[in-house]
Amino acid sequence: MRGDKKTKLLAKQLFKLSLRDGQVSSEQVAGVLGYIEQAAPRHALALLKLYQQAIVTELAKSHARVEHAGPISAATLQLIASAMTKKYARPVTATAQPNPRLLAGLRVRIGSDLYESSVAGQLATLSHAV
Amino acid sequence: MSTVVEQIEQQIAKLSSKAIKKNTGTIRAVADGVAKLDGLSDVMYNEMVQFPGGAIGIALNLEADEVGCVVLGDVSQLKEGDEVQTTGKLLSVPVGRALLGRVVDALGRPVDGKGPIDAKEFYPVEKIAPGIMVRKSVNQPLFTGIMAIDSMIPIGRGQRELIIGDRGTGKTTICIDTIINQGRINKVGLASGDKSFRPVYSIYVAIGQKQSNVVRTIAALEAAGALEYTVIVAATAGDNPANQYLAPFSGASIGEWFMENGMDALIVYDDLSKHAVAYRQISLILKRPSGREAYPGDVFYLHSRLLERAARLDGKGSLTALPVIETQAGDVSAYIPTNVISITDGQIFLETDLFNQGIRPAVSVGLSVSRVGSSAQIKVTKQVGGKLKGELAQFRELAAFAQFGSDLDAKTKAQLERGSRIVELFKQPQLNPLSIELQAAILWALQKTYFDAIEVKNVVSAANSLKDYLTSRKDALLTKIRTEAKLSDEIEAGLKAAADEWKSTFAAQ
Repeated sequence: MRGDKKTKLLAKQLFKLSLRDGQVSSEQVAGVLGYIEQAAPRHALALLKLYQQAIVTELAKSHARVEHAGPISAATLQLIASAMTKKYARPVTATAQPNPRLLAGLRVRIGSDLYESSVAGQLATLSHAV
Repeated sequence: MSTVVEQIEQQIAKLSSKAIKKNTGTIRAVADGVAKLDGLSDVMYNEMVQFPGGAIGIALNLEADEVGCVVLGDVSQLKEGDEVQTTGKLLSVPVGRALLGRVVDALGRPVDGKGPIDAKEFYPVEKIAPGIMVRKSVNQPLFTGIMAIDSMIPIGRGQRELIIGDRGTGKTTICIDTIINQGRINKVGLASGDKSFRPVYSIYVAIGQKQSNVVRTIAALEAAGALEYTVIVAATAGDNPANQYLAPFSGASIGEWFMENGMDALIVYDDLSKHAVAYRQISLILKRPSGREAYPGDVFYLHSRLLERAARLDGKGSLTALPVIETQAGDVSAYIPTNVISITDGQIFLETDLFNQGIRPAVSVGLSVSRVGSSAQIKVTKQVGGKLKGELAQFRELAAFAQFGSDLDAKTKAQLERGSRIVELFKQPQLNPLSIELQAAILWALQKTYFDAIEVKNVVSAANSLKDYLTSRKDALLTKIRTEAKLSDEIEAGLKAAADEWKSTFAAQ
């Protein structure tokens, strides 16, 4: 269930309240959750789902998930984080996630953007082109 | 074998070690050919979206927290959580001469088993219609080969003429006859070596029709030798609504290529009622607000932007559109019929009653009109058929009155006699379009009272006899009518001599 219009609007407002200086603040989120618990608004479950999705989407914008096949150094991760911070003009953190299906190379996911630099990605492009 | 290896090598050479940026999203829900997606923050309206398994979608609803997308292809393999990607491309279809004689789907992919299409160019499916300044007035005729239409409701190149009527009244037949006639004219014109001759290429878009009907249409066009000048875009009843919604736009793009490259094209949308229904289905699933008859608010814009793409361009070619609309119980005041009537430059209304009386094509003279008028007629047709519409309308009125009384004055009786002969003369079997010179000759004979002495029930056979006589013995005269396109004294004398000779032979039979 995606919730009705009022629920969507409330979720949007609660999401805005969860930001501090344009970033998701854990304190603000705790406050919002406390309010929901106390006020028990209509369609609370749908509201929580919408709110959670908005928070997850926002957090994903500031977090680079680096999939890699083979070893990756902390310095490389730091390099990616600083490059993304510069590109998106907001603080971005990077975490590594091993993915042997990539065969070799990296795949960086930040928000809905995907930076593909893996052998598996190249092979997929090749198979699509031929 | 070596070419395959070469192709792979070429593709490998193109590969770069640089990171490629993609915009991705995930499937949240899939239902009835529509997918709701999360992510895709950079997606454009009408952009092609790549689904796993090779399926393609079009982003139609861009909302704050989700993207609504119609899926073109098999949705059974898609599941929640699958990753989708933007392509950065608007939906495009192959265009060009390579499509002539082929049957393609809404995405321009061949479905006739004749192998791949070697198209050099691609046109976007959605394109803004030509503006005011580049357009030229419609004054070149497009002959349908149907005497009732060419003489009374002429169609010009670049015009939008609606074919409207109940089911089973011969709407598709008129369209197929017109396409066949273009094929015949093209053959004669190209064989003549006349450099000023402009062939008309046809595009037939089948929307939501039975596959058996489409097969029959293809067979009819092939048998008549018109398929080589025709492209068929098929989105049949079995295709998903997204393909049915896209097919006319794809057809328009294919037609636009001919227009943009200085050629003339004819496009038949068969039919836009089913197109509107497919669009309604998509819109309701996308949860767009519904309006009258549950159609979305932009159903008018859907058809107006499609039909506005038909035009005659200054210094280029033309695209003539024949949209088809199916009415329910002859109700032309329903939502979609009134919309399309107001967009087009006239309509040919087919009546069930006339059809059942055996008057085929069942063109209703009173309700049919061509807003381009006689400017899209050649002089000879104007000379022989200029007064026909008025005479026939008068006849219908008098015939209705005559039912109530038997005492009629001589003038009324003469008008009724003449009217009934015109009605008989306009009867024409399907898949048998008549050349414009033959039409002119027959109408000339009617004008000169050659049919007045013949009993009404024999008028059809007399007209057929005259056609046979002229085509078999007076070919030079017919060619002269075609090339001069007007009734000169010499042609008239030739016609008189021919008609007199035919009359004596017909009377002797």
